Amino acid sequence: MAKERGNSEDYVRPIRRILVGFLVLLLLGTFLLWRIDSPRVERFRAALVDKVVPSFDWALVPVTKIAGMVEDFQSYARIYEQNQELRRELQQMKAWKEAALQLEQENAKLLDLNNVRLDARLSYVTGVVLADSGSPFRQSVLLNIGARDGVLDGWAAMDGVGLVGRISGVGDQTSRVILVTDSNSRIPVLIQPSGQSVLLVGDNSSAPPVEFLENPDLVRPGDRVVTSGDGGVFPAGLLVGHVAQGSDRRLRVRLAADYERLEFLRLLRSHGAEAITDPGAMVVTNPLPPVAAAPATPVEEASE
Amino acid sequence: MIDRMTLQRWLYRLLFVGLAGLIIFVRLVPLDIGGGRFPGPDVLLCLTFAWAMRRSDYVPVLLVAAVFLTADMLFQRPPGLWPALVLVGLESLRARAAVSRDLPFAIEWAMVAGVLAMMMLADRMVLALFFVDQVSFGLSILRLIVTIAAYPAIVFLSATLFGVRKITAAEADAMRQLA
Repeated sequence: MAKERGNSEDYVRPIRRILVGFLVLLLLGTFLLWRIDSPRVERFRAALVDKVVPSFDWALVPVTKIAGMVEDFQSYARIYEQNQELRRELQQMKAWKEAALQLEQENAKLLDLNNVRLDARLSYVTGVVLADSGSPFRQSVLLNIGARDGVLDGWAAMDGVGLVGRISGVGDQTSRVILVTDSNSRIPVLIQPSGQSVLLVGDNSSAPPVEFLENPDLVRPGDRVVTSGDGGVFPAGLLVGHVAQGSDRRLRVRLAADYERLEFLRLLRSHGAEAITDPGAMVVTNPLPPVAAAPATPVEEASE
Repeated sequence: MIDRMTLQRWLYRLLFVGLAGLIIFVRLVPLDIGGGRFPGPDVLLCLTFAWAMRRSDYVPVLLVAAVFLTADMLFQRPPGLWPALVLVGLESLRARAAVSRDLPFAIEWAMVAGVLAMMMLADRMVLALFFVDQVSFGLSILRLIVTIAAYPAIVFLSATLFGVRKITAAEADAMRQLA
């Protein structure tokens, strides 16, 4: 055997080794390039995903649908219990609906009294989930809307109820949503009744923990968690979830969005808040003419 | 004309690319969204190593590098590092493939497990060196264990479904004469 290895591979082996070494160096170079110039490589990645994944679309959608049907079919098995359960829930919901209607009317009246103007520019665009990240350690999904629909980095993504994540990486036809459960996700949130600002830190678990909590005594499991709008990336007041205590005694947030069924996501167009640079313009929007300054003098006199 | 062996070799390479595409596709289907799940095995890596231990000519380096780099790009991983480690692991296994031809499967399994563990450690060390965020050590270990546990199953499947078996010494001679 040793003899046979001798003749033909004597010159093949070193060449092969050089080729492999060169290839490994090239790949490590790619990694270095990514580390040094991350945005450029990430743009390339977004473009690549943009090309590859939509071409899977014809297959991705049916497979996802069939898997969903299988799951649904399993739930048909206990359809009677579900029906009973739903009836009970419906009863409760009716009570809530009544309460909500009353509150809505009251709210409308109060808003009218206060002459509050809501932000009319908070509109949204809805996309369908195409694919997930494919890795068990990265929590992100790919949507079928992208730059051609006006999607920008940093927009908030919600399902019908709660916050799901934020846009990070926009291709022409696709965009990637980093879910709040991803270990790279940090979102400033507010715990509602006590009004404490904390950071929601994704850690790959289904219920991300909160960090930088000033006074844990004021927070109770069940408290509402909403986005605080700090940092100007997200609009304030989007529902994130409810506080719960994990098995490791840490305060975690049970997310309001239904992560089991992410199908349509709603991207909130956020327009960066206008920065106020001139302090004078902030206090008085239209300064009074000089004539109006005259009444100021009697005050000075009075003080003298 | 193309002889039978070359044709077969290229067909198997094509099959490898097809299987890799299928594995990537299945991982991309949005079914297991949300965290806190048990990490599944790295099937693609198992497949590559299983074939490398059996018929190393079915998994040429360039092909493996291309497949793993694409997977890196699609799976949002730091590109390049993992394929480089896979190549190093692949080459070290390939060098021992001829030796392990006559040894029982348990030893091959232990060898692959060792290489996988070294790859994971090297990956974590390099990522730590470059200050890249990474998952907790426990999750990585869990994934490593699951991957090692899945290796025999994938060896069995690729032997029964695709007929990728160890070559005998006589076949090796025949191939060497052709090549």
